[in-house]
Amino acid sequence: MTISIILGFVLLGLVLLLALVLPSVTSGTVPFGVRIPAEYSTHPVVAEQARRYRRRVLVCGGVIAVVGVGSLALTRQPLLLPLSVLVLVGLWYGCFFLAHQEIRAAKVDGGWFEGLHQGVAVDTELRTNPPRFPWRWLAPAVVICAGTAVIGILMYPSMPQTLVVHYAGNGTADRLEAKSVGSAFSLVFLQLGLTALLAGLAAAIIHSRADLDPARPQGSARWARHYMALGAKALLGLVAMIDLGLMASSLLMWTGTVTRWAPLVIVVPVLASVVAAVTVLARNNADRGGDGEDTGLTHRDDDKFWRAGLIYINREDLALLVPRRFGIGWTLNFGDPRAAMLLAGVVALIVLVLTLRFGG
Amino acid sequence: MILNVDLAAEVPIYQQIRDQVVEAIAHGALIEGSTLPPTRTLAADFGINFHTVNKAYDLLRQEGLIRLSRKTGAVVTARAADQLLPSDWTARARTLLAEAVARGIPADHVLQTCRTLLDSFSAAQQEDKR
Repeated sequence: MTISIILGFVLLGLVLLLALVLPSVTSGTVPFGVRIPAEYSTHPVVAEQARRYRRRVLVCGGVIAVVGVGSLALTRQPLLLPLSVLVLVGLWYGCFFLAHQEIRAAKVDGGWFEGLHQGVAVDTELRTNPPRFPWRWLAPAVVICAGTAVIGILMYPSMPQTLVVHYAGNGTADRLEAKSVGSAFSLVFLQLGLTALLAGLAAAIIHSRADLDPARPQGSARWARHYMALGAKALLGLVAMIDLGLMASSLLMWTGTVTRWAPLVIVVPVLASVVAAVTVLARNNADRGGDGEDTGLTHRDDDKFWRAGLIYINREDLALLVPRRFGIGWTLNFGDPRAAMLLAGVVALIVLVLTLRFGG
Repeated sequence: MILNVDLAAEVPIYQQIRDQVVEAIAHGALIEGSTLPPTRTLAADFGINFHTVNKAYDLLRQEGLIRLSRKTGAVVTARAADQLLPSDWTARARTLLAEAVARGIPADHVLQTCRTLLDSFSAAQQEDKR
């Protein structure tokens, strides 16, 4: 119970912190998912909306924390905390959308793009000489996967006949299953699937299309190259930590160890690596290089391809991954059928794991 | 090499791409054997029709600045030192110089501008070699 409460509050705090910090680490030319010319990035409407957004997010976070604690005290149901995190994410999006709409209206009414020369910049070297795939960063994940599989194979004969395949929020074993290759190695299969998926995503990031600023093409091309490599390394570091957590969980399962700290074995490394990856990417997100450079062009107004400021749908665009507008990292082009296939693959992987662990 | 296209310019996009590739060769940013991205990839990066990039590449091929093949894609070709200036180049230079004379720009100033530009190309080439 205590562990779930602490984890719930840590997660709530992290989400709130991220929501408050994101406007500061987002490029000044896409505040709240609205494309604006660089000279309007300090416009009073933009500054006012950022202030209002932060106030709203803070109020929502406070209300959610009070309601979460209150309902926990009344019902003694720790699952309410993860639920309140989801509610906070929903409210966060609401705050984002209000700011998005206001800035977009000001941009249209004020004709911010009128008279400007819109352009597109491309660095051909990102295609002819792309950043190298960081194989060294993939090595830890591969070693951990292989190590887990080998340990599993060696331990299989001595494993208990009944394996603990799930823990309740309070750390007690609430689902047992007879020993089989499927049940004993379910987490190893998950390791392999996740490693392949995230390594594929890292490769896709390296070959993704960079969104260069036509006003500062040289500087933003240097930044894009650096950021892509950073993104791929962050993803591979994350998968190594997830694999480590799954390895530790597998060892608990195989040795028949029942401990109330079991959820922490996986949650702590994953949470720590997510925080580290987000921090590293966020620090490199806002300043996109090219100080002093000015070609006289401005970025093309591509708002029509972004639904609600967050979802990119462009059937004409061959790119599968595009840089996010609000937040950090990349997002899928949902106008590309491959995006639906990729999501279907992820869902299939989750279903496979659930079937292996809880099926039959 | 950075290609920066002005979507609102009077100069067509294919011409802007062609001109910037020519400048990159003059500056030494592209040398013999340098590759250019495949047509479809470059078109996707620009978010434009691939026929537009195809047209730019075809112009460069006709001018002998790149060669196109299925196997190697678009590759910058060797410069022929003894190659004479093509007649269309002379015609374009003639028009540009006529513009300068028509505007009353002194011949010395025109020559000085030409010299400065040519020097900037060779200086950039030297810089790239280092």
